[in-house]
Amino acid sequence: MTATVSDPTLPAPPSRLRGVGRGIATFFRRAPLSGFWGVIAALIVAMAVAAPLIAPYPPLKSDFRAMQKPPGEAHWFGTDQIGRDTLSRVMYGAQSSLTVALGAVLFGTTVGALWGLACGYFGGRFDMASQRVIEFLQSFPDLILAMAIAMALGGGMGTVIVAIAITRIPFGGRVIRSVVLSLKEMQYVEAARGIGASHRRLMFRHILPQCVAPYLILATTHLGVAIVIEASLGFLGVGIPPPTPTWGNMLADSLNAGLVPPWWLVFFPGAAITLTVLAFNLLGDGIRDLLDPRLRGSV
Amino acid sequence: MYSYIARRLAFGALTVVGVSIMVFVIMRILPGDPLVAIFGPEGLTKLTEEQRANYMADLGLSDPLWVQYLRWIKDIVEGNFGRSFFRSESVADMILRRGPLTAEIALISVVLSWLVGIPVAIISALKPNTVADSVARFASILFLAVPGFWIGMLIVLALLFWFGYRAPMAGVGFLTDPAANLQIVIGPAIVLGLGQAAYIARMGRSSLLEVIREDYVRTARAKGLNNRLVIALHALPNALLPVITLSGVLLGLVLAGSIPVERAFGTPGLGYSMFQAVSERDVFVMQNLVFLYAVVFVVLNIVVDVTIALLDPRIRLR
Repeated sequence: MTATVSDPTLPAPPSRLRGVGRGIATFFRRAPLSGFWGVIAALIVAMAVAAPLIAPYPPLKSDFRAMQKPPGEAHWFGTDQIGRDTLSRVMYGAQSSLTVALGAVLFGTTVGALWGLACGYFGGRFDMASQRVIEFLQSFPDLILAMAIAMALGGGMGTVIVAIAITRIPFGGRVIRSVVLSLKEMQYVEAARGIGASHRRLMFRHILPQCVAPYLILATTHLGVAIVIEASLGFLGVGIPPPTPTWGNMLADSLNAGLVPPWWLVFFPGAAITLTVLAFNLLGDGIRDLLDPRLRGSV
Repeated sequence: MYSYIARRLAFGALTVVGVSIMVFVIMRILPGDPLVAIFGPEGLTKLTEEQRANYMADLGLSDPLWVQYLRWIKDIVEGNFGRSFFRSESVADMILRRGPLTAEIALISVVLSWLVGIPVAIISALKPNTVADSVARFASILFLAVPGFWIGMLIVLALLFWFGYRAPMAGVGFLTDPAANLQIVIGPAIVLGLGQAAYIARMGRSSLLEVIREDYVRTARAKGLNNRLVIALHALPNALLPVITLSGVLLGLVLAGSIPVERAFGTPGLGYSMFQAVSERDVFVMQNLVFLYAVVFVVLNIVVDVTIALLDPRIRLR
């Protein structure tokens, strides 16, 4: 977007939109595979948003004439032990799973990033203490920390979001802190400080904008992890409480469907998790390559 | 070297103290009322004031928090992890009985992840951008995305469906009955091992690709050394250092991952106890198990760091 000395006779307003459009076009050209998976991710998000419109049945309605039916004409993905349509539940499950994952990653990464900004900028004792706390947080395996917090706070979508968000804080804190540490020594920041810019102005006008790329990379690469943690919490019974359909809840529920659980109750929710995580991971890889040219080619 | 180990241990001790405070805060202070966690919000309203006070005193919950914290630490130091709300077994007994099975699963899975991940990484790195490399990369990307517990459920289902087979439910030690023990352990170990192998293959590939371009590897080739020996003796040892570190980080994945995976397989290990504690809202068991898992994770990472220092003079001599 460098050589856009446009004809002054043309209307200028849509330039921002065009910039975004061109960004997406560049993305597809540079990373067609990630572009493809980005489309899949967009479709999954669209499916979640449009679930009430496109789902063939209400997710909680049980049909006692069609209990535990294998996939067929009326129920493409079959029904569970109390006659609820699996396809509809998978669609609605996308809603809760994606809400939790997006909410947790945005919340956790933002808190972590602001914390890292403060640590990197002010340094000193505050930084020392913060680094210890972050180390303590990272001494817990992610899922175990999320389980403990979700259990302590009690069930519900909000608590699951908070529980997963807290496990994401150390990553944002660490990465943004190191970025800020190197930015702080840059000449343009020094120059701004020289002409008397306040701490707030330095932090938010000069340093923070440079943190946007690493922030976006962090957020996209952690979406997949957040989805898996959410599903695991649901599977272990500390996620969003049933009967709300989430992919994890559905998998846990399938274990109650008799000695040999019907395969469709196990297969479809798990396949939904896998596909979604795969799409977000590969999209994240593409975004990382695009935003951070130094990393291109590695891993 | 000794000062490095001493420093690492001191930091580790500090971390363990910090972790214990954090566990205590999460399990005891966050919910406000542990009775809500035990009885549920509805159950609590059915209790009279007096009953509540009695329960609180019984459980030692009416003392000041720092007294409770110190009592818990004293319990741990004495090797007595308190008791469960719902089971007669003490937490210490539970750990001793079920812990070995989970440790076995973790150990086998780590060995397996190396046996699978490293050869895949070598093939990928030596012939980059070939069919073999593409297949390997696709497989690792896929295994990074698949939740282990789901694979576990599918395996259990397939075995039941086609062979009517289910792994034994009772926990058996390897020494008493190796055959039954392996049947219990092998499923979770494979699932968790493949999950780690995906990370190791990815990391190993990029690390090996980097090392192969180094001057000393070119020198080894230039003096006419057989290509296999160059890789095995010169490139691989250096390329494996970051993989060892990664393996330490992945232990967190194994420890945590074993909880849903053990549930999927119905393995009578410690992860299953954790699942039970969580679903029964058993705060004390959960508190002790979370602490135990975190301490194990911290200790294993110290072991990994010290191993790296022993292997790598750049760190040892710093």
